[in-house]
Amino acid sequence: MSDALIEARQVCVTFGSGSRAVRAVRDVSLHINAGEAIGIVGESGSGKSTLARVLAGLQKPDQGEVLFGDESIYQRGKAYRGDKRRLVQMVFQDPYGSLNPRITALSTVAEAVKFHGEHSRSESNRLSLELLGQMGISERDAGKKPRQLSGGQRQRVSVARALSAHPEILIADEPTSAIDQSAQAQLLNLFQGLLGDGLSIALVSHDLGVIRYLTNRVYVMKDGAFVESGLTQEVFDNPQHEYTKQLIASIPGRNMQGAGT
Amino acid sequence: MTLVEAGAADWFDVKGTPPKAKQARRLKDGTIGMIVGGAMLGVLLLMGILVPLLSPYESDQSVDMPFMPPSSTFLFGSDGLGRDVFLRVFSSVYLDLGVAFLGVIIPFTLGTIIGIGLAMSRSKKLNAVVGSVIDGINAFPLLVLAIALIAILGPGLQSVVIALSLTNWARYARLSRTRAQVVKQQGYIEAAQTQGYSKPRILFKHLVPNVSSETTAYGLSDLILVILLIASLSFLGLGAQPPTPEWGAMISDGRPTLQMAWWPVVFPGLALCWAGVALSFIAEGVTRRDRDVKS
Amino acid sequence: MSTVTVTESPSDALVEIRDLVIGIQRTRADRLILVDSADFDIRRGEILGLVGESGSGKTMVCRSLIGTLKRRSATIFGGTIMFDGMDLAKIDERRWRSVRGNRIGYVPQSALTGPNPVMTIGGQLVEAVRCNRNRTERDARKRAMELLDLVHIRRPEVVYDQYPFQLSGGMRQRVMIAAALAQDPDIILADEPTTGLDVTVQAEIMKLLREIRTEFNMSVVLVSHDLALIDEVCDRLVVMHGGTCVEVGSVEAVARNPRHPYTIALNRARIELAAPGSELMTIRGNPPGVGEWPSGCRFCERCEFAQDDCRVGASPPLLEVEPEHWSACIHASLLGAASE
Repeated sequence: MSDALIEARQVCVTFGSGSRAVRAVRDVSLHINAGEAIGIVGESGSGKSTLARVLAGLQKPDQGEVLFGDESIYQRGKAYRGDKRRLVQMVFQDPYGSLNPRITALSTVAEAVKFHGEHSRSESNRLSLELLGQMGISERDAGKKPRQLSGGQRQRVSVARALSAHPEILIADEPTSAIDQSAQAQLLNLFQGLLGDGLSIALVSHDLGVIRYLTNRVYVMKDGAFVESGLTQEVFDNPQHEYTKQLIASIPGRNMQGAGT
Repeated sequence: MTLVEAGAADWFDVKGTPPKAKQARRLKDGTIGMIVGGAMLGVLLLMGILVPLLSPYESDQSVDMPFMPPSSTFLFGSDGLGRDVFLRVFSSVYLDLGVAFLGVIIPFTLGTIIGIGLAMSRSKKLNAVVGSVIDGINAFPLLVLAIALIAILGPGLQSVVIALSLTNWARYARLSRTRAQVVKQQGYIEAAQTQGYSKPRILFKHLVPNVSSETTAYGLSDLILVILLIASLSFLGLGAQPPTPEWGAMISDGRPTLQMAWWPVVFPGLALCWAGVALSFIAEGVTRRDRDVKS
Repeated sequence: MSTVTVTESPSDALVEIRDLVIGIQRTRADRLILVDSADFDIRRGEILGLVGESGSGKTMVCRSLIGTLKRRSATIFGGTIMFDGMDLAKIDERRWRSVRGNRIGYVPQSALTGPNPVMTIGGQLVEAVRCNRNRTERDARKRAMELLDLVHIRRPEVVYDQYPFQLSGGMRQRVMIAAALAQDPDIILADEPTTGLDVTVQAEIMKLLREIRTEFNMSVVLVSHDLALIDEVCDRLVVMHGGTCVEVGSVEAVARNPRHPYTIALNRARIELAAPGSELMTIRGNPPGVGEWPSGCRFCERCEFAQDDCRVGASPPLLEVEPEHWSACIHASLLGAASE
């Protein structure tokens, strides 16, 4: 576990207080090694999105700590101080809300490129177009505002924005749940390519198909706690916990495996 | 092919949209409304400059017999003091619109700052205190509060602007607080945080424009109300003081003699309506355009 | 290739949709077409899947079957929807009231906003039960309990007096299904009924829909963008792309021998069939936007097999490529040969 890039230790998050308190995350520990993709799978209300936000530095845990390179990230008020902020980026679930509706795809990405690289305006525009091009967004579409783009395109713009910070780890919270099937395949191919380039990915999803396809290790989350974890292949082939078995049995299309085209 | 030919081809042109579609879309995104409203406002503003400039008389100068009906020399006739109604109506344009503009822009700015500040602040106490002040002010009709304040400050247009600034900000504050609370939870704000952008950058580039778009649309329609409010206050003798030409005051002056001479009342009234309609066209256009951005 | 128009065996067809054209009248001369020459049957006792990406027109077709296009300011411009001797494309709102809910039940997309938040579950069900039939309050209550039991809600007497916010998403969707069943309809229309619900809940809802079909010999139309789900639950499927039907057939036939490049591509993009880490096949470009359809086949710009003759003329109609299996690809026979 020495090569863990990021590590969460006994993290607890509670919302509200008194009798109305909801313990969204209960005593959860996980680690992500450099260059690997882990999955956090669970149903709505399991606390997986909250955990993702904790890892991304957007939600301070009540207890426990998150270590990034041997240093706790939640110190003295602000999460991920200095250059570390850049290294952990996030892609959000809702492709409609994750882009500023008033500025074009290009400006969104160019703002990030300019911020991190200190380029001139024209230079950062050029780099942004290049980056968007790699994401499959044409120059024509780059000039559009979010509302004119499809869900899949918006999601790829979000990825481009995240990548312009040159992160070491990308946390993706349900990135495929709101987009069409063909767009989903494009996005997953993109993630696969990024893994090949050495990026680490933490994929939060309720879609076991996506988890099985992309990740090598998986944590199964229920009611704020992990019920099972291990190598994705092993968990899928031989689930131990009753809940995991139930989840896997619910994947549609499982009985079609091998019978496809 | 028979299917499509028989069924669909009669009905429409499959590829491309007819040129009329472009017009329809412009109507839909509010462009036409904005053009019409802008033109109406432009005419008013232009007349507001040209008429006083080109007229050989002063607005408070008696030029004719009292209560002369509209004629070719004096298009809108003359009032009880023999003053040119045409000149007086257009001499009021900049005063009426200018005071209304101030009466919106000051509360707008104050309210937006306070509203966003409240939404961003973590202090529950501050939110509770300022929140109840806002609700308290909003509980009263604007006119009633404004009259009460002017009673303290003394009549005059200056007092009108101060009274408006002290009361109307609460509406903008409530609006922008609610909106800011929604916007700050949007993914793009959190994304900006994970990028490590500075707080002012997040605030001014990502949060404020998305909050103020909502309040701007409200502000434009509020401008109409404020124009009417200023005219009402002047009508009651609390705003513009004679002999200053002002639509509300002119209507008030002409009211006792309305039976024998309608023109000193109707023409300032029409000017008020004209300004109101122009602004509502513009407000409608802005709202539609904004809705388009969001959907 | 013969240009025979589609004729499905009429014996067991409950609804026959022919050449359906749906659009929005924007100005007198300008029509925005959303669905164009939709063409398929709904048979008695089958679960029919309607699959397509966003903008493919599947929701519009679904709305035309319950007469709620007007609420989206859309209109039927042509074609017929024959159901029990009536043409649903032409009947007026008054006649619709005897069909909607009564003969064709509807389960809405969003279980979370579907039920009226200020009415109890029981109140809403009683309303649905009494809506077209004269039943006494007592009778209706009894029926509402039956319905709750039918959709496997435990302790119906408790749920009866609860409000929607007290129920989970899955429970709410069960209640919506119960409401759709209230009048013993011939058809249940379910538009993305499990969007936003968890996989385990989705599996339960699908099981329920299958049970209902078997028990009452009801037809179910399931609208979804999830091909895997359709494959698992449905008997037959209609694949829509660019506002038109591109492939119709039994689920087995379409899975075994897809005859439209779009269906082939969709199948290849399915992750549950892909080996972990392998490159997923994707479909080039984006679905054509409404009003931006290319001439000829609307898939031609994204199709890997497209020839010059695919890009001309009107959108090709469905042709029978093998018994009970239709494709709108003019090169369907070549695709069949290639895949064998």
